[in-house]
Amino acid sequence: MTISFRSPLGFVLLLLAVLAFGYLLLPILVVVAAPLGDTGYLAFPPRGLTFKWYAAALHDTRYLSALAVSLRIALTSALIACTIGVAAAYGLTRFSFPGRRLLEAIFLSPLILPTLVLAVGLTLFFTRTGLLVGSWKLVAAHVIVCTPYVLRVSLPVLRRFDRSLEEAARNLGASPVMAFFLVVLPVVRPGIVAGTVLAFITSFDEVVLALFLAEPGAPTLPVMIYSAVQLGFEPSVAAVSGLLVLATLGLMILYHLLGTFGGRRN
Amino acid sequence: MTKPETKGGGARWALFAPALLFAPCAFVYAVFFIWPQASLLAISATDAAGLTLAHYQRFAGDSYYWEILGRTLGLGAAVTAITLVLGVPTAYLLARVQSRWAGFLLLLTTFPLLVSAVVRSFGWMVLFFRDGLLSHGLMALGFADKPVQTMYTMAGVIIALAQVLLPLMILTLHGVFKSIDRDLEYAAMSLGARPIVALGLVTLRLASGGIVAGSLLVFSLAISAFATPSLVGGARANVMATAIYEQAIELLDWPFAAALATILLVTVLALSLAYGALLEGRGEREAAR
Repeated sequence: MTISFRSPLGFVLLLLAVLAFGYLLLPILVVVAAPLGDTGYLAFPPRGLTFKWYAAALHDTRYLSALAVSLRIALTSALIACTIGVAAAYGLTRFSFPGRRLLEAIFLSPLILPTLVLAVGLTLFFTRTGLLVGSWKLVAAHVIVCTPYVLRVSLPVLRRFDRSLEEAARNLGASPVMAFFLVVLPVVRPGIVAGTVLAFITSFDEVVLALFLAEPGAPTLPVMIYSAVQLGFEPSVAAVSGLLVLATLGLMILYHLLGTFGGRRN
Repeated sequence: MTKPETKGGGARWALFAPALLFAPCAFVYAVFFIWPQASLLAISATDAAGLTLAHYQRFAGDSYYWEILGRTLGLGAAVTAITLVLGVPTAYLLARVQSRWAGFLLLLTTFPLLVSAVVRSFGWMVLFFRDGLLSHGLMALGFADKPVQTMYTMAGVIIALAQVLLPLMILTLHGVFKSIDRDLEYAAMSLGARPIVALGLVTLRLASGGIVAGSLLVFSLAISAFATPSLVGGARANVMATAIYEQAIELLDWPFAAALATILLVTVLALSLAYGALLEGRGEREAAR
């Protein structure tokens, strides 16, 4: 360390960092812990200990079907975003042509667009044109917000890729398509997987577009939680949110472990 | 960038491949992004009689909406300030810690980002109610003599939204501090600078471009956030995003909602251009070195 923790400056820095982590984790801890209380209303710290709210959440068909809707939409959006995003990223890094930077900027621009603005525009658009039905409206919207994440992760990976490997494959007689799938893709796969996971999470957590565009009878999980929280503080909503947090934590640890093992293998 | 190869069948491939690769993405963007956003602009500037600025004039002539815009910008400034105060030290320590802890702490920073903003705002709501931990804590510490209601106040929105955006500030600044050679700090200190002076004159100065870029990012996300202001603030802490939602969904005044959305969009675009220019400038300075 440049700065010792024992010096006054180091101590202040450390104190602020500890505060920051406490601040980051506090509301998440609340959501996980509050439904453990058996007071019948949400309180933190919880009083008493019961698992009945968590058990009830696991059997609540409304939330389970919302979860199914969310998973389906997130999976569809992430796969579409991955396909069109990786194709575009490969084109952007492989070929040089006038307007390439502009095209890249346009493809990335939904990142800076407020999702609410996108939601208003798309709702009006779908109402007027009658294009797309059912959950496809939301999928289209999520593809727009997810594709930039795929691009942002896969562009640097593809730029770093050693082009001579691809040329070697071509010299040995591989077609451009074969060279891409047999040589380029295996090398850049971790980046593409990371981008797709990011796209999946973005779609799964997204609430604004879903509020505007989800089918009235089939809300996504964030919309269900949003509406339930607005109506009142049932412990069951907190239990659903808590389960979501725990599942996210579990998946993150799993992904990290897989990544670590993958890294060692290489 | 090297030119695509042109030998053999490569010429045809070089001509058609880019078009084929870009076509799906360009098609999806044209139909579901550019077309809807362009018609949003058109709707905000038309009425039954044709082109009009009436919706914008309604905004300009009503102090209620100026108040909302002011509140939104104030929210952005307050959230940016909090994320800076907590984010700069945290990112700096994360970038300088040399142990297995660094990776774990980075994961701990990323984790809240993976939890939906709705869920995180919900956690704050439990703490904010008159009977919640915050109220009891303030009373126990002697800052308040009666229960405090933080729910449905701007203060509550600021606290909750700063938590939602803090990971982005830390991750942005972490990259910036990582790229600053720590030998420069050692050099300053070996020339006699006290640690705090070395930090201020060397590290913070070198990181200033990144700090401004991170601030602009957090600021533009804060002024366009919807879920947190709507849940924690409710109707009593109206910001641009909630006003747009109200006009569109509750009052069904889509042209006015479109005008408000355009005003928000222009603000965010202006900030993003500044952000891009700053990042670009930093890159050029670094390349020149």
